[in-house]
Amino acid sequence: MTETEFALRTEGVGKRYRKGWALRDCTLTLPAGGVIALVGPNGAGKTTLLRLVVGLLAPSTGTVEVLGHDVTASTPHTLSRVGFLAQDHPLYKRFTVAEMLRFGRACNLRFDQGLAERRLAKLGIPLDRRTGSLSGGQQAQVALALALAKRPDLLVLDEPVASLDPLARHEFLQVLMGAVAEGGVTVLFSSHLVHELERVCDHLIVLNHGRVTLTGDIDTLLAEHRLLVGPRTATDLDRAGAVVEAVHSDRHTTLLVRDGALPTAPGWQAHPVALEDLVLAYLRRPSEPSATVPSGAAA
Amino acid sequence: MTWLIWRQHRAEVCVLGLLVGMFGIALLVLGTQAHDLFPGGPARCAGEAGINEGCAASFRRLDEDFGFVENLLAAFYLVPVVIGAFLGAPLLARELEDGTWQLAWTQAMPRMRWLAAKLAALAGVTVMLTALFSAVLTWFRQPFDAWEGRFQYDAFDLEGLVPVAYALFAFGVATVAGAILRRSLPAFGVAFGAFLAARMSVALLARPAYATPLTTMEPVPVGGSTDQAGNGTVPSFADWTIEHGYADATGRKLSGTEYYELEGAANQAGTNFNQFLHARGVQQFEVYHPADRFWTFQLMEAALFVAVAVVLIGVVVWRVRRRIV
Repeated sequence: MTETEFALRTEGVGKRYRKGWALRDCTLTLPAGGVIALVGPNGAGKTTLLRLVVGLLAPSTGTVEVLGHDVTASTPHTLSRVGFLAQDHPLYKRFTVAEMLRFGRACNLRFDQGLAERRLAKLGIPLDRRTGSLSGGQQAQVALALALAKRPDLLVLDEPVASLDPLARHEFLQVLMGAVAEGGVTVLFSSHLVHELERVCDHLIVLNHGRVTLTGDIDTLLAEHRLLVGPRTATDLDRAGAVVEAVHSDRHTTLLVRDGALPTAPGWQAHPVALEDLVLAYLRRPSEPSATVPSGAAA
Repeated sequence: MTWLIWRQHRAEVCVLGLLVGMFGIALLVLGTQAHDLFPGGPARCAGEAGINEGCAASFRRLDEDFGFVENLLAAFYLVPVVIGAFLGAPLLARELEDGTWQLAWTQAMPRMRWLAAKLAALAGVTVMLTALFSAVLTWFRQPFDAWEGRFQYDAFDLEGLVPVAYALFAFGVATVAGAILRRSLPAFGVAFGAFLAARMSVALLARPAYATPLTTMEPVPVGGSTDQAGNGTVPSFADWTIEHGYADATGRKLSGTEYYELEGAANQAGTNFNQFLHARGVQQFEVYHPADRFWTFQLMEAALFVAVAVVLIGVVVWRVRRRIV
């Protein structure tokens, strides 16, 4: 599908606004194919990172390479291979749906009008309605149809379901995943809803305070991390820097460790960790300069 | 792209087109009647010829029948800013306001091409509408200009090239303000304020200094002020008088108090004031720009506003290029 095996590669990317750094030292390599989730609390820098990826912003430091091309060059070729759905799925509110499609056709090298029309017809969205008069869910679907009609190799979505009700959210994700199944599009989307990710995502990036705190294949991450439960202890347990988080109750100490499932010490029980708990543990960690967690051994 | 620009901006273009069209037709109808008062064309009555009986009668009728229209023309000072700011303010501001810049600049059309097309189209419409408007007004004012000259504020500021330059300036300010403020309405307001400030300071301070004004200086005539008419060296009505007053024998300008002191002394002595001044070698002076500098001044003022507009558009291009917006 693509001439590179990477959908996205960033090297030391930072973005500084007047009020300070929104993103620092972001180094990522994301494989082509599959679905990548970008999670983090509000203000973590998710939107900034996604705008850098699609070339809407220029990085203050570092380089962003999308599908093997420097994205800041903004050539029609690169632009046509990346689809973007911004937060709150902006559309020209006074355009009809048909006019939105005409906009897409006028501004793109390739635009599959038939595909967009079929998708909208299936969803029962009339072409002659003004986009401003459609429901939020329908507007999101129009924006998605527009982005998919470009037949992009990389589709970037910023909080695509945040403003949708549960039903519209479900429908939207269904259409999105259907498109992923159909063709080899790589999807990168941001969200702060963690519990839905496990079902749809292959890869995870956790962003907090403008820094990447965790990134990797979700299955690998879940295999590497464990919850260890043992008697309460106040001593420093982080012998090899493998403890992500330690929680103490009256009688027990619970540790989240990234140790690659090494044998458990006597008196301790190991449990698998849920993705949501894993993400939350990383989000609770105080921000620190090192973006990578050493995967050393702890026995 | 043409379709997109038309679709996005047709409301503004239609409203402005309608506005200019309505004013244009009204002025054409009234102007035809006003021109009909001058059988040989208004130009024939300009200058010295205006004194002859036929022209004097025409001018009297013009003042009686159309004087009110001329007074209304002052409202047209704002037409260039309305056209320029109305088209410039939403260019970027509306996209930033609605978030659609993220849609527009992630299609295959690079943002600089998008911006170039929009700027060219909307600045083009600005120029076209304003040029049409000022062409009709220039023609409409021909009879009035023959009478009053073209350097008055209600002639110079509405005729020829400068309205187009004013409109481009307003377009530039509105576009930059829209890019920075990210809101159409405040951008329109900023353009309005900047337009008034720039226009007033240029008209009052810069315009008289485009060239060195000429000065006439001659002794006060014995016979009094009525003698001045017909004196060839005194500037004509069509020239632009910057300053006039009295000066002493050495050419030093007299202040108001000095003038009133002289007047008091003449009254005390019981002599005719003009004779009194004449005897002391007091001179009348007038500082002015001759009427034939009209086009030079038009070009200079237009160049000034267009230059500022170009700089402002440059700022917009720079901001979009550097991805600051």
